[in-house]
Amino acid sequence: MCKTIHYFGIAGLAGIVGLLDLRIFGVAKALPLRPLQRLMPWAVVSFLVAAASGWVLLRIAPGNSLGPPVNIAFAAKMLFLVLIGLNDILYFATGLKRQVDTVGAGENTSASAKIVAGVSIALWIGVVYWSRVLTFLAGAI
Amino acid sequence: MHIVDILQQWSENNAFFIWLRESPSVFAYPMVFFIHTLGLIFTAGASVIVDARLLGAARQLPIAPLARYFTAIWIGITLTVLTGVVMLGSDIQTKLHNRLFLPKMLCVVVAIAMTVALRSRIASTRPETFVSPLVRAFAAASLICWLGAIVFGKFGVYF
Repeated sequence: MCKTIHYFGIAGLAGIVGLLDLRIFGVAKALPLRPLQRLMPWAVVSFLVAAASGWVLLRIAPGNSLGPPVNIAFAAKMLFLVLIGLNDILYFATGLKRQVDTVGAGENTSASAKIVAGVSIALWIGVVYWSRVLTFLAGAI
Repeated sequence: MHIVDILQQWSENNAFFIWLRESPSVFAYPMVFFIHTLGLIFTAGASVIVDARLLGAARQLPIAPLARYFTAIWIGITLTVLTGVVMLGSDIQTKLHNRLFLPKMLCVVVAIAMTVALRSRIASTRPETFVSPLVRAFAAASLICWLGAIVFGKFGVYF
């Protein structure tokens, strides 16, 4: 049940992050970015659902991730999540989010916004990769 | 001899499937599983968000441009299906005997059919925020089936 809830959270998060990052890259250019970015609070809710269920999963079988020895894939996954957090902080703190808000239908985003979106996609793909390797290393695939 | 037995015998002796099952490399089964998960998460996630919009969420988003996302969704579906077939081929008997495998496949097939049905209808939506009852019904079916595929996929481990 916890795994299902974890996946629901991830699906909601991947959906919003995926659609937003792809739009920043120029996919579905007819979409104005402001209304798309207003979905961000839902991405946060999805992340909290995934994080809470992930925490419960960790408590149920701590040995799979925390060892000893610590599962290297778990450590890498956590590192990637921290990097995603830093990337998001950068997005808000540098005013990029506000700048992207002004990008209307049919308009292009700036190169810096594209870089942040690219880093975001790459890091999220990495999180999924380490999650799969984690189960493999823990013998739970 | 039953077709499943014939396929099982073939996959047991096939060099690729032997490597996939037995190699300890992360580039064997874990890589296929990773691509399957990545494809499914993006496909289900993006579809669920589009479905939610069609069902009345985030009304500020115009609908017709969402059709442009379907190319990416189709790439996700293709990756998921291809890797799914490879994973099935690596252990046909166990997977087919899982009681939740067929419900999961049914959900995936209906969800893909809904994706096909929604794409052209979304692209031709005029005015851009109008959603017909038929499109709402398709979106609801798509939403239920993608979430159902996740539920059956996750619970399938225990059956």
